[in-house]
Amino acid sequence: MKKKFLTLGLIAGVAIPLAACGGTGGGESTSTTAATEATTAAAESTTAASSSSSGEKKVFTYGTTGYGVDMLDNGTNPHDGYMGWSALRYGVGETLFKFTDSMEVEPWLATGYEFVDDTHCKITLRDDVTFSSGRKMDGQAVKECLDDLIAVHDRAPGDLKIKEITADGNTITIETTEPCPALINYLSDPYGCIIDMQVPEKDSIVVGTGPFICTKVQDEQMDLVKNENYWGGEVKSDEVIIKGISDGDTLTAALQAGEVDATYGMPYASYPLFEGNPEYEFSACETSRQFFGKMNYNSEIMKDEAVRKAIAMGIDKEGFVTTLLQGHGATSKGPFPASFAFGDNTVTAPAYDPEGAKAALDAAGWTVGSDGIREKDGKKLSINWLTYPGRQELPLLAESAQATLKEIGIDVQINNTKEHKTFWKDGNYDIYVSAMVTAPTGDPEYFFTTHALSGSASNYEGYSNAKLDELAATLHKTFDETERGKLATEMSQILIDDSAYVFASHLQMNIIKTKGVSGLEAHPCDYYEINKDTVKE
Amino acid sequence: MKSYIVKRLLQLIPIIIGITLLSFAMMRLAGSDAVNEMYAKQGAIVSEEVIQKARAELGLDKPFIVQYFIWLGNLFRGDMGVSYISGKNVFSTFVSKLPATLLLTLMSIILTVAVSLPLGILAAVKQNKVTDYIIRFCTFIGNSMPNFFIALLLMNLLAIQLKWLPVMSSGTNFVSGIMPTLTLGISMAAKYTRQVRATVLEELDKEYVTGLKAKGVRGAVILWTSVLKSSMLTIVTLLALSIGSLLGGTAIVESIFMWDGVGKLAVDCISNRDYPLIQAYVVWMAIIYVGVNLVTDILYHYLDPRVRLGGIKD
Repeated sequence: MKKKFLTLGLIAGVAIPLAACGGTGGGESTSTTAATEATTAAAESTTAASSSSSGEKKVFTYGTTGYGVDMLDNGTNPHDGYMGWSALRYGVGETLFKFTDSMEVEPWLATGYEFVDDTHCKITLRDDVTFSSGRKMDGQAVKECLDDLIAVHDRAPGDLKIKEITADGNTITIETTEPCPALINYLSDPYGCIIDMQVPEKDSIVVGTGPFICTKVQDEQMDLVKNENYWGGEVKSDEVIIKGISDGDTLTAALQAGEVDATYGMPYASYPLFEGNPEYEFSACETSRQFFGKMNYNSEIMKDEAVRKAIAMGIDKEGFVTTLLQGHGATSKGPFPASFAFGDNTVTAPAYDPEGAKAALDAAGWTVGSDGIREKDGKKLSINWLTYPGRQELPLLAESAQATLKEIGIDVQINNTKEHKTFWKDGNYDIYVSAMVTAPTGDPEYFFTTHALSGSASNYEGYSNAKLDELAATLHKTFDETERGKLATEMSQILIDDSAYVFASHLQMNIIKTKGVSGLEAHPCDYYEINKDTVKE
Repeated sequence: MKSYIVKRLLQLIPIIIGITLLSFAMMRLAGSDAVNEMYAKQGAIVSEEVIQKARAELGLDKPFIVQYFIWLGNLFRGDMGVSYISGKNVFSTFVSKLPATLLLTLMSIILTVAVSLPLGILAAVKQNKVTDYIIRFCTFIGNSMPNFFIALLLMNLLAIQLKWLPVMSSGTNFVSGIMPTLTLGISMAAKYTRQVRATVLEELDKEYVTGLKAKGVRGAVILWTSVLKSSMLTIVTLLALSIGSLLGGTAIVESIFMWDGVGKLAVDCISNRDYPLIQAYVVWMAIIYVGVNLVTDILYHYLDPRVRLGGIKD
């Protein structure tokens, strides 16, 4: 009896604090109340995603891994770090020129441009554009914006090389300190969003010309409302909520639960949940984000051309893309995707050829040891593969290469670390495999000048080719786009022929949308996402 | 007692200097810095000149020890600086994240105590009976599952299947806190149930319990008035450690549920090498542990007559 009493007391002991946790009376009613509250909150949350069907406010909720403190873009001021990406991606700001699907520039806030001479470029502006503040966008407004950009931004002055800007009515003339053939491309970078400098920035919010006005910036969320006076026509959504979701599983669950209408940055592993499901739609596009390896010429083993060639032939790019990336990528030959005029369709690269790789190593004197790993002069053919986990594709590529290179007798030791930069700068690796957007502004010069030339800032590998340096100098002075493309092709081919680089694959950007979402498509440079037509019907 | 508390609080000063110096040094030893990480995050390649200029603006070009003493001097003047990444005031950024962490800590501790205390006692009283086996099996499962796995299970059940709760938190509120609380509470309650059971069993085996039983004192009275009181010392110590840990934030749970607390902030600022924010976090952790230990010691004072009579004097 006493024990029964004690047991009942203990059960009550469990129930009462649980009730207290709920904050109201008895256990049962508390549980019901909590569930009701929870349902209400969930409904409120999903209303945001589905209220479009209510016929009142059209609210579009977008979940993305591309927004947040961690991405350094939580704000809309294009003159502050990488916030221009958010301004451009989410429809707050617009640039003078924009990129087409084939990454060629076309007028946007401008109507055209003309290089008066090597250092003067005259840009004519549209005359029907107003900022969301109501001010008309004219030459003076653009000059004020660009003057501030080059005064405060970290990268823009070096890219644009602007000496002086003069405004005259609806035109501006930019004088550069040296010939800058890629000026128009750089003006299309997100930092080139034109904002009204007469309205001071407040809480990282600025006034742009886009279809949406930013009303609130938080670490993981940005709230936008439609710009009623948008110069480009009717804006279909009344409100847009950008949710920065860094965790891939949360992003997946949010789309499944209907808390977001579309997502960007979904992990590959979650794709099967949405593929083939009529409730979801994919919008895919090949981008210039490249996964590639750079051979370290300062490493004794990599100075052997046969080893470099064998590595280039021994990586199964097709298998990597189709199996590990589940088809969501595109194999590469050179640094630029096939959609570019100077892209993969214009260069040739060795195909996956294990037998050819073995033959090359045999010819160079690398013999297969008892453990299957080749050796020469008592030294094992073991390479240090430096990469990092920040991009989900890179560790997968390392594993894939480790397996296929072992088949030809190359042992791959993977160093997959967040501290890759330290190892890279110190030269502690044989091949450095990373990801980068090779042509962020659609122009080829950036990739070569930053990575591949003798004096490039990121050429820690010690790679040098006199012909390449000479072509780069020519490219720097060439204004004609066709000619620039030809030069880029020739330069890419040199990198491939020297086996200095292995270009594995291009990122395929995927936006997954729920049924009824329109006006949101993947773009090769991932600058343009939310626009005036983006809506959930 | 007052002088004891003051003495303990004064110990905070050398502790803060020691651990902030250590963390400052460790972050430098880890390599890279805020400027490198900032450009690496976006995959941007900039010239060395731009990098050096950015470093100079942040004061990162100065020797390590100079940087540290500048920071420490500012701290003692009440200025924790600005974030290298966001440019916002560190103190206000940090304080803005605290309500979420405090609420989650409170909810998790209440749930943990509410579940583990009765179940642990029940399991001890019913030792080697069916009830005990069931409780031990459940705690075994709870202990075995990592937090992120529990989080995903809850998310799938409560948000995707039943649609009772939102996947993502919509601010610092009770409803948004339910799933993070359950995630933390399940694993903590599993651990504490076993601890409570073991502690109560240990006490039940002691001679004073046998003596009380021999005197005819009822089992329930022995349990509630003597055994539980003695067990409290161990339980309070464990709870204090957990509260300290929870107040430091739970990065994984916060990331999964988008709960805007200090845990995620800490992980972000470490990966960005945002030294001023990292230092603010380190100071916060020092204050938490000194504070929680102090409160625990004071509780000992009241809970255990041996401490009160033979140890610390007011």
